[in-house]
Amino acid sequence: MALSRRNIELLFLVIAGAVSTMAYVSVYAGRFREINRVSIIYGLIFVGIFFLLHLLVRFVLPQADPFLLPITALLAAIGLTEIFRIRPALALTQGQWLLVGAGLFVLTVILVRDHMKLDRYRYIMGAIGLGLLVATIVLGTTVNGAKLWIHAFGFSIQPSEFAKLAIVIFLAGYLNDKKVLLSVPTHHVLGVPLPAAKYFGPLLVMWVLSLAMLIFMKDFGMALLFMSIFVALMYMATTRIVYVVLGGGLFAAAAGIAVAVVPHVQDRFDTWLDPWPHATTTGYQLLQSLFTIADGGILGAGFGRGFLLYANRQPVVPDLQTDFIFAAIANEIGLLGAAGVILVYVLFMWRGFRIAVWAPDGFSKLLAAGLAFAFGLQTFIILGGVTRLIPLTGITLPFVSYGGSSITANLMLVALLLMVSHRTNVVREGSDLERRRLAERG
Amino acid sequence: MNKAISRIFIVGVILFVALIVNLTWIMAGRAQWFADRPENKRGIAKEMKIKRGDILGYDGSTIAGSRRRSGYYYRDYPQGTVAPQLLGYDSVRYGRSGIEAELNDDLTGQSTDLGVQSWIDRLLGRKPKGASVQLTLVPAVQKEAQVALRGQTGAIVVLDPRNGALIASASAPTYDPANLEDAWAPLSTDSSAPLLNRPTQGLYTPGSAFKVVTAASGLDYGKVTPDTAFIDTGTYVVFGGKVTNYGGAVFGPNDFQTALTYSINTTFGKVGNLVGRKRLISSMQRFGFYQTPPLPLPQGEVLPSGRYGKKGLLSPDAFMDPLAVAWAACGQEQVLATPLQMALVAAGVANGGRVMKPYYTQQIVAASGAVVQKAQPQQWLVAMKPTTASQLNVMMQRVVNSGTGTAAALEGIQVAGKTGTAERGDGTNLAWFIAFAPADDPQVAIAVVIEDTQSTGGEAAAPLAAAVIKSALAQPSLP
Repeated sequence: MALSRRNIELLFLVIAGAVSTMAYVSVYAGRFREINRVSIIYGLIFVGIFFLLHLLVRFVLPQADPFLLPITALLAAIGLTEIFRIRPALALTQGQWLLVGAGLFVLTVILVRDHMKLDRYRYIMGAIGLGLLVATIVLGTTVNGAKLWIHAFGFSIQPSEFAKLAIVIFLAGYLNDKKVLLSVPTHHVLGVPLPAAKYFGPLLVMWVLSLAMLIFMKDFGMALLFMSIFVALMYMATTRIVYVVLGGGLFAAAAGIAVAVVPHVQDRFDTWLDPWPHATTTGYQLLQSLFTIADGGILGAGFGRGFLLYANRQPVVPDLQTDFIFAAIANEIGLLGAAGVILVYVLFMWRGFRIAVWAPDGFSKLLAAGLAFAFGLQTFIILGGVTRLIPLTGITLPFVSYGGSSITANLMLVALLLMVSHRTNVVREGSDLERRRLAERG
Repeated sequence: MNKAISRIFIVGVILFVALIVNLTWIMAGRAQWFADRPENKRGIAKEMKIKRGDILGYDGSTIAGSRRRSGYYYRDYPQGTVAPQLLGYDSVRYGRSGIEAELNDDLTGQSTDLGVQSWIDRLLGRKPKGASVQLTLVPAVQKEAQVALRGQTGAIVVLDPRNGALIASASAPTYDPANLEDAWAPLSTDSSAPLLNRPTQGLYTPGSAFKVVTAASGLDYGKVTPDTAFIDTGTYVVFGGKVTNYGGAVFGPNDFQTALTYSINTTFGKVGNLVGRKRLISSMQRFGFYQTPPLPLPQGEVLPSGRYGKKGLLSPDAFMDPLAVAWAACGQEQVLATPLQMALVAAGVANGGRVMKPYYTQQIVAASGAVVQKAQPQQWLVAMKPTTASQLNVMMQRVVNSGTGTAAALEGIQVAGKTGTAERGDGTNLAWFIAFAPADDPQVAIAVVIEDTQSTGGEAAAPLAAAVIKSALAQPSLP
């Protein structure tokens, strides 16, 4: 008998839970040389949160993809474990953020229930996304040279993480609506067929926005992410490669301007090209990251057994628990483990794109593909950055990095993907009862 | 639309494959390369978790200990500043140097020759414990040498000529190793180079102290005897140039041993040309010039002595005209020597012509208490025949008894020595004194060099040598 989607999910959650518990116990034992009740209680709370999310999905979105939630749990557990490993006090905070994120996940699922509703609010979503970014530019404080944070009510929020979701929803709705107009060329410029000029509006708005992010927020990573999301969605909506070429060219121009004008971005670029002359200054963080990763070897030292903290309890790489958490993971679980973690991200991305391919309507397709793309690219930008494949930019590793905004926003992203997949599966193969329920919701 | 979505996914997969390829390159392909980069201090930081072995003086007292603070070990120096340039540092920020670097594997208990227990510990994954290193350095003598140099710039090296053991190695100006990390910036930029280990890294013009080498060559090759007669007119004209005496002195008729007693340049210039370039250089090589003395220290911390050109040490075969030979025979021209090399010259004469391999490790004791390494003195070179050595011994006694080195004379101990004063052309001198004592049964050999002094070797360096020799001979035991 084939397992139902929810039982597959439960099975994999149990596996993810077991793996996470072992990792956590390993760290705990490495730290305190014993395993006691406290360590087990923390583990149980974590398992409990994901079990509740599973129950919610079981009742509200029974046909949703069964792999996304276990993947999320596994990544979050690795992140929490490693944060606890590096700074135990922060792990508690991160655990609380996970709870908040789970709460928002529940709210999203219950309030939205069917993502098709969001299509109607696309301009509101666009406005929210834009507003969050403008607010960051106006109200934000500068940390590590980049302006990413808003401090309010004793919390630090990174609005761009949420803006990412809002913008994807807006673009999915808008581009789905305009895709026919955007794909019909009305005239030629230098032999290149182009659609009517007025439909280029959003492209230019997006370009100006990412340029503003580069110059005012000095945040190359987020700018690249937003521009890429836009270009990728334009391409997926119209299947016209000209947008990719145009968008890529425009972003390259913006990046060139930023490298020339913004010293912070320039430093990052120089350090990427050749970090060695800056080994004690701007290149310190990147080189320490590479040293820490290289030190992991094939198998790594084991969770809780790598050399990640100096004698004064300072991490070997500044920002190890946030942007550079992958260096800590690679050090402790080695090449095999780190490559495994990367494959888990690929798996997540694959599920997302698979949902998009199977989705019955354009909006669902663009929404799922956009979310999966945003998730995957964000992962690539930070992993490529800490391994010197691409210039380093401060951006979080989804589910793993320390940071409330990141984990909360990404849990909402999972909720949205689950909704799309539930609808897709119901439309394709669901029972009459399920179809009727779905229709009632809309 | 699905085709475009699939394409975007494929692009994404390609990017992630690139990540894994790059990661493999870092973690498997070039892991060792990254580990070996000097910018990478992870190795040092990791070893802070190991109880680093103590560094002990010859008397068994701790010079550098290991103190635990919240799981990590730090060096402490219960006796304060004792030969910090030789001991070196062990710093997460600035790396390692000196003995700390050279014997790191022993001090961290990771050496393969630390015995069975260390193998068992490693197999069981236990954290290694550092072995302690007992040096031949005698703290009392070392401190006496440091006190003698206080307020001046220079170096003192004391060896046991019978076995090559390093008894003291002082370098001034010095520093407090306990707060090296805080004082690094001023220390590393100070023009008087306190971090430099002058005994092995300081290259100085040896001046007349080098005449011991010339004398050994002349006597050994039978070109002169102590009684060979010379006439000094104050000037020795050779190859279109001239050799003159210090302070313009004129000595008239003299024999070879008197020429050493009063350090007569013209006679030594002539002896240099009697011996000739090839034999002079060959004698230098037999004292250890033109090679790095085998004192085990990290690359670049022991420099070879010899004739230096603009690009460093010249070949022993490099051309010299007779004027150059004459001045080289007086320790001038392009001859440069480290204080260690000059101490080895004195030690060679003291030990009947046999130069012993210099060393500083008395023994290494593993954490288990087992002695895993013990000093085994070895002959390094033969500088001259025993008869030559005894003739030279007598001649050097006369320097102290009635010549330029009278300030080194000690009550009840016959000292044999040779002064050196190299004028630097800016009104300051480099003052040298090399010696050994007691002359009939040499137990210590010493080289003293003082930079930037107005005085001569006999005035500035000889009294310091006397004080250190006295302290060394008063010790209950020497290595």
